[in-house]
Amino acid sequence: MKRLITNPMINKELRQRLRERRAWLLPTLYLLILAGTVSFAYYMTTDAETRGQREVQGADIGLAIFMTVVFTQIVALLLMAPVFSAGAITIEKEQRTLTGLLTSLLSVTQIWWGKFVAALLYLLLLLLSALPMLALSFAFGGVEPLQLVRATGSTVLVLAAICCIGLWCSATFRRSIHSTAACYGIVLVLSVVTAVVFGILMSHWSNHHILLRGEGPPAYVQAPLFLNPLYPLLSMMDDVDFREFVYPTSSWMLFTAMGCLAAAFAMRRLKRGGDQL
Amino acid sequence: MIEVEALHKTYRGGRGLHGFSFHLESNELVGLVGPNGAGKTTLIKILATLIPATSGKARVGGHDVAAEPHLVRAVAGYLPDIAGIYQDLRVKEFLEFFADAFRLKEPKRSAAIQRALDLSGLQDRADEYVENLSLGWKQRLLLAKTLLHEPKLLLLDEPATGLDPLARISLREQLKCLHSEGVAILISSHILSDLEDMCTRILFIADGKNVAEPGGSAVPAEISEARIQCEIGFQGSPEPANQAVGKIPGARVLERKDGFLLIEVPGGAAEASSLLQALLNAGMVVEHFDARGPGLEERYRRAFGERHS
Repeated sequence: MKRLITNPMINKELRQRLRERRAWLLPTLYLLILAGTVSFAYYMTTDAETRGQREVQGADIGLAIFMTVVFTQIVALLLMAPVFSAGAITIEKEQRTLTGLLTSLLSVTQIWWGKFVAALLYLLLLLLSALPMLALSFAFGGVEPLQLVRATGSTVLVLAAICCIGLWCSATFRRSIHSTAACYGIVLVLSVVTAVVFGILMSHWSNHHILLRGEGPPAYVQAPLFLNPLYPLLSMMDDVDFREFVYPTSSWMLFTAMGCLAAAFAMRRLKRGGDQL
Repeated sequence: MIEVEALHKTYRGGRGLHGFSFHLESNELVGLVGPNGAGKTTLIKILATLIPATSGKARVGGHDVAAEPHLVRAVAGYLPDIAGIYQDLRVKEFLEFFADAFRLKEPKRSAAIQRALDLSGLQDRADEYVENLSLGWKQRLLLAKTLLHEPKLLLLDEPATGLDPLARISLREQLKCLHSEGVAILISSHILSDLEDMCTRILFIADGKNVAEPGGSAVPAEISEARIQCEIGFQGSPEPANQAVGKIPGARVLERKDGFLLIEVPGGAAEASSLLQALLNAGMVVEHFDARGPGLEERYRRAFGERHS
């Protein structure tokens, strides 16, 4: 355990990562995108009042900002996670530096852990940098601190699982371009294909049942969505539109299992990494 | 230091190792030569614990490479033909990282880093980024990194690839120095003159097997290569030479001119001395005696020439 904490790989990875040009460029772009979407959400919410549709409370604005930031950041980070994780091991193969790691006294677990922590920490840095924007929602009200904790925790869990999958792709493929493409493919399947399958099941189910507002379809119809990175966030929104999604724990467990499996496969592949050098 | 018995490594396409065997003692600097695709890199990679053998036995420092890879890595240092290097780290950071990767603790860690800087001659450039170093300096840094944990054995796979002549000479001197300090070295290279200059023994490999000279039987090369040629300048009759050659089993006259003989005897320096003694005992007046084994280039041509013709 001590070796995982005092792991020289983490030091090296963070040092290299923060020396890249994109180290400051990405957070800047990320925050600009978030700021843009928050401004848009604020405008749309307050504009509903000017259009006379209904009276807008501070809590409405707070909730709108919160949901906008939470969903925008998970989508943005899901797009970035493969870049940081899927290239982490392949770059060592491409630059022929993996040989040095595999013939040192670093264990395969230490190498994997160093790569994982470095990828996740960078994504957490982005997540952390958006906290002031999330705090805006508290100024307007309508959001409980527990919601913030759950949303952040859920996002971190999903990102950790995606990083594990990215590292597995990276350990499997020789070239960064192939591993990144494979990882994006998996993210696409999890995000879009699960939603499409859910849509098909839902339409089939609703042909035979009447769906009441606020009540969702049974678990087996929702099951494909458990693999969707957005599901845990949907399930915790205290909004009537999302009240049907009530199985966040199943989703968390599935993402944890996916992450653990991907980690085990990645380490196994890394152990045989000499064949690819 | 290295014991390899009937090592097999099978790849698709037939390349790999097919029953290669050899031993390397702790005081040896052994050169591994053979044509491209002979299995040199595969052998070194197996010994460096990078890839598993299909069958056979390989032990380094008394540890099985498959069962105890960590113990093998602790006693061996490996430098591949094209070694990667972290361009975006500073020289000192690079060494610090590998000192930590080899679990060196203070004060040994600092001492090892300082020694590596001294050895590579990069003391004054410790804070420079690695990417600013020339290829020769990078190779020196890589060798210094390989020596950080003071390995008892060095596994070098064509370490002089891409180096200019001066860097090559410097590398050769460094290796000789390490050998004199007691580090056993197995080096694969195509630069025969370098190997001839520094190696205590040469191993020939082709198609993943030991190669004898000439041809390709599976007899370990070091057995069959032990022949020595003696140039003899003399006065008087050559008749005593016939008697002397007749007394040494396996000896034969290769060339005969006025006052000159070229005789080949099996064995090494001791057998050459015996020949000289026998010539003197037979009453020959010897003016000049020069015993030398065939040059590595010649031995290489004998061993592999047929494969290319």
